[in-house]
Amino acid sequence: MDPIEIGLWVSGGMLLMVVLGMRVAFAAGMAGLVGLIWIFWAKRGMEWDQLGWALTVAIKTAGQVPHSKVSSQTLSLIPTFILIGFLAYYAGLTRALFEAAKRWFAWVPGGLAVSTVFATAGFAAVSGASVATAAVFARIAIPEMLKIGYNKQFAAGVVAAGGTLASLIPPSAILVIYAIIVEQDVGKLLLAGFIPGAFSALIYGLLIVGIAMIWKNVGPPVRGFTWGQRFAALPAALPIVAVVVIIIFFVYNPFGDAWGTPTEGGAVGAFIVFCMALIRGMRWPELKDALLETAKLTVMIFTIIWGVLIYVRFLGFADLPGAFADWISSLAVSPMLILICILLAYAVLGMFMDAIGMLLLTLPVVYPAVMALNGGEFVSAAESTFGMSGPMCAIWFGILVVKMAEFCLITPPIGLNCFVVAGVRPDLSVQDVFRGVMPFFIADAITIALLVAFPSIVLWLPSLAG
Amino acid sequence: TEWNVSVWGKRRAFTEHIEKLAELVSEKTDGEFTMNISYGGLSKNRENLDGISIGAFEMAQFCAGYHPDKNRAITVLELPFLGVSNLDEEVAVSRAVYDHPAVQEEMAQWNARMLMTSPMPQYNLVGTGEPRQELGDFEGMRVRATGGLGEAFEAVGAVPTSVTATEAYNAMESGVVDTVAFAQHAHLSFGTINKADWWTANLNPGTVNCPVVVNTDAYEALSPEEKEALDSSVEEAIDHYLANYAELLKKWDTILEEKSVQKVEYSPETIEAFKAKAADPARESWIKDMEAQGIPGQELYDLVQETLEKHRAGN
Amino acid sequence: MAGSSAVLTDDSLLSRLDRVLLRLETFFAMISGIAVFLLMVLAVWSVGGRKFFSSPLAGYVDWIEAAMPFIAIMGIAYTQRQGGHVRMDILIGQLRGRALWAAELLSVVLILALMLALIWGSWAHFDRSFDFSVPMWSRDSSIDIGLPIWPSKLVVPLAFSVMALRLLLQIWGYGRALVLGLEHPVAVPLVQSAAQQAMAEAEHLEGRE
Ligand code: NA
Ligand code: NA
Repeated sequence: MDPIEIGLWVSGGMLLMVVLGMRVAFAAGMAGLVGLIWIFWAKRGMEWDQLGWALTVAIKTAGQVPHSKVSSQTLSLIPTFILIGFLAYYAGLTRALFEAAKRWFAWVPGGLAVSTVFATAGFAAVSGASVATAAVFARIAIPEMLKIGYNKQFAAGVVAAGGTLASLIPPSAILVIYAIIVEQDVGKLLLAGFIPGAFSALIYGLLIVGIAMIWKNVGPPVRGFTWGQRFAALPAALPIVAVVVIIIFFVYNPFGDAWGTPTEGGAVGAFIVFCMALIRGMRWPELKDALLETAKLTVMIFTIIWGVLIYVRFLGFADLPGAFADWISSLAVSPMLILICILLAYAVLGMFMDAIGMLLLTLPVVYPAVMALNGGEFVSAAESTFGMSGPMCAIWFGILVVKMAEFCLITPPIGLNCFVVAGVRPDLSVQDVFRGVMPFFIADAITIALLVAFPSIVLWLPSLAG
Repeated sequence: TEWNVSVWGKRRAFTEHIEKLAELVSEKTDGEFTMNISYGGLSKNRENLDGISIGAFEMAQFCAGYHPDKNRAITVLELPFLGVSNLDEEVAVSRAVYDHPAVQEEMAQWNARMLMTSPMPQYNLVGTGEPRQELGDFEGMRVRATGGLGEAFEAVGAVPTSVTATEAYNAMESGVVDTVAFAQHAHLSFGTINKADWWTANLNPGTVNCPVVVNTDAYEALSPEEKEALDSSVEEAIDHYLANYAELLKKWDTILEEKSVQKVEYSPETIEAFKAKAADPARESWIKDMEAQGIPGQELYDLVQETLEKHRAGN
Repeated sequence: MAGSSAVLTDDSLLSRLDRVLLRLETFFAMISGIAVFLLMVLAVWSVGGRKFFSSPLAGYVDWIEAAMPFIAIMGIAYTQRQGGHVRMDILIGQLRGRALWAAELLSVVLILALMLALIWGSWAHFDRSFDFSVPMWSRDSSIDIGLPIWPSKLVVPLAFSVMALRLLLQIWGYGRALVLGLEHPVAVPLVQSAAQQAMAEAEHLEGRE
């Protein structure tokens, strides 16, 4: 049997195991191991007396992967980004942000909802995890909105949608994972997330203002904050600004040499939030809890990473990504249409799957195909299909798929953010939240369409960084 | 027979001999013996020797400085200021060292057999900011340099920082390092030249040694014709590599001019002083280290020097 | 999809073993958490050293790479115990009773097979880098400051062995539930509906603000 055929069988088997409920990391690892055995055995003509050899070589090859692949400086960003988010709770940054956003933005129609969106966007700058953001703001923002007569479903929808911003706006674990899988510059990808993230928040805000202007009873504005009160709310939220500035300057300093690597930036940011949390009363029991939770989440992510990379190692021997890329670029359909189909496929897949698992499982095959569509990894902007160089296309596609993955957090039937919001608020059913979040589908669709149509929204900032 | 070959990065001057070898072997055997060259799909570059030892692929390239403890004997070729002045000499000394029983024995532990070298020119620095003209200027310099080269710079007060080749550009841009030691082709292909203000034209502090090896069992399993096709193509592959590199070096000066990169020339006294500080102690401690572990360090070092003399006499 | 699930306990031998192993797993996970913390401190030290004292930390990258297996792998059994590894439970979440335990049992048996293979493979990876007869027992060293790599390679088979013990307990737990037709078996993570799970996660956050 030729390697590509083996590749297809094994990939199909893996998807079956995933659908049947095997933990994603181990389904991928198992598929990779079986695939390696098969491919080495096929190389020796599938003779019975060669099976032992194939088994040994495959197991030893797979056994290298966990150590080899996690020993990476770039991947050390992930635990740091997770730790930052946990420490931020203890530093009291959530409430401070919401208070500041309320005093500054609540005067517009639908004001508290707009404030909530901006506060979640701000919190996104210290949190890598969308679900955590939704959970925290469900407790802080929903009661305040209900108090002044907001529609219950709408208030819940705002929080569920706002929570998704955390993975686009750096620090973002999922952007780091994308960068590792496709072997692109992490710093530029993180930079690229800022504007689309802020852009998403803005579109959410505009949508809310629009809704509030059409249906007067949805969300009244809140006025009456003096400038004094506004400025008084800022200092408590300042550490967020410090973290944002640090991470940006470690990746790209508009006034000179950058300060260091993204890894260092993440760590220094975490350290600032850590000091802040110490000042605000965090002690060993809380720190221990934060460290244990960080460890658990980190291990969960890394297990998927090495599991999938065993499968990827097998793909390397089967050369399936190359074959798929050749097939995609040989299709007589417009490349833009293919790209849109790929994004739609992610929307459907994401209805049923976890975002990180989804990206890790699909990117090894899909990414080379997209790059081939654009004209290859090293293509210049002038000769490319989408009008951008290879590395830029990698960044653009990364932001698009991460935005798709975020979108999936609010779509039924398994929109995790909606479940979390409903879980925090006993008076809200999951159906309520799904109903409330519906308008934001439109906002996300508009955002994605604009990012596809105007790649410069994504690429402007990273292109400055050279 | 189909062989999988594990290399890394993208196709560049550094991998041209492997590409050529695959072409020649296939030609000579009428497509009976083919090589599938994979750029990073089969292994991490620092684990190519592990992959060979396992038998996961049949041929691979690696660099001695990535993991000195895996290949102690050939690190002699990475000692600073060894005296090698061009690629021909590099080929000659590598060949002599690869043939030494101590090297063959160490490779045998990995089930590997040396096939050929990937001759690298001297690793000169590109740097940002003020050119470092004197030995004292190296104090506190953050330099991307691995292995023996890193130690040499350390001896004059610099701080070696290893980032992988692909990260070198970013490390330079972000100020994690302010100089990078590479061969010319790597300065070009990893973009470090685009960040450079100056280049050390004649420092010639040393280089890395990157052999291409084959899995012994796979080699033994070749038919006599295939073996013959492989062995007889090495010479030609290396020649192709050298010719290709020579073209690249011709372009190098034009590129320096285009990017207005300053050429820094060191006086012979400065280089002598550098050597005295870095090369002599490094060599002595290397030899002591090796001898203590039962590897004939002195003999290997002498072999390099003799080969150099013989090679120069022959030309 | 992610997150933790409930594990019931009682006085049976299985449940007691479960809790004994949990202590070891928690200790391993704590090592991972503390390593994350040290990673942060190391980076701050490195940046500080470079920016303010122009004495960068030698071998910074080597140390990070050596620390990563501790961070990324030590806690694997702890996460498995809590049911924290991601899966897609849209189908398995519909099953009840024996059908559910059979599916879970099959899944953990497959995972055990994978882990046993990987214990062998990762041990071989460690073994290639380890040699009693050479200085620091090292036959593989890092690129910058020549750190021996075997200690961080050893972490993998070690953590995977604890994982294999955990899987044996889970096979016992699910097997018992399958044979006896139990409704609420001990020592295994129980499938929660996404809503229950979200509730549990939210409660966790509740405690911390
Ligand atoms: Na974020
Ligand atoms: Na969904």
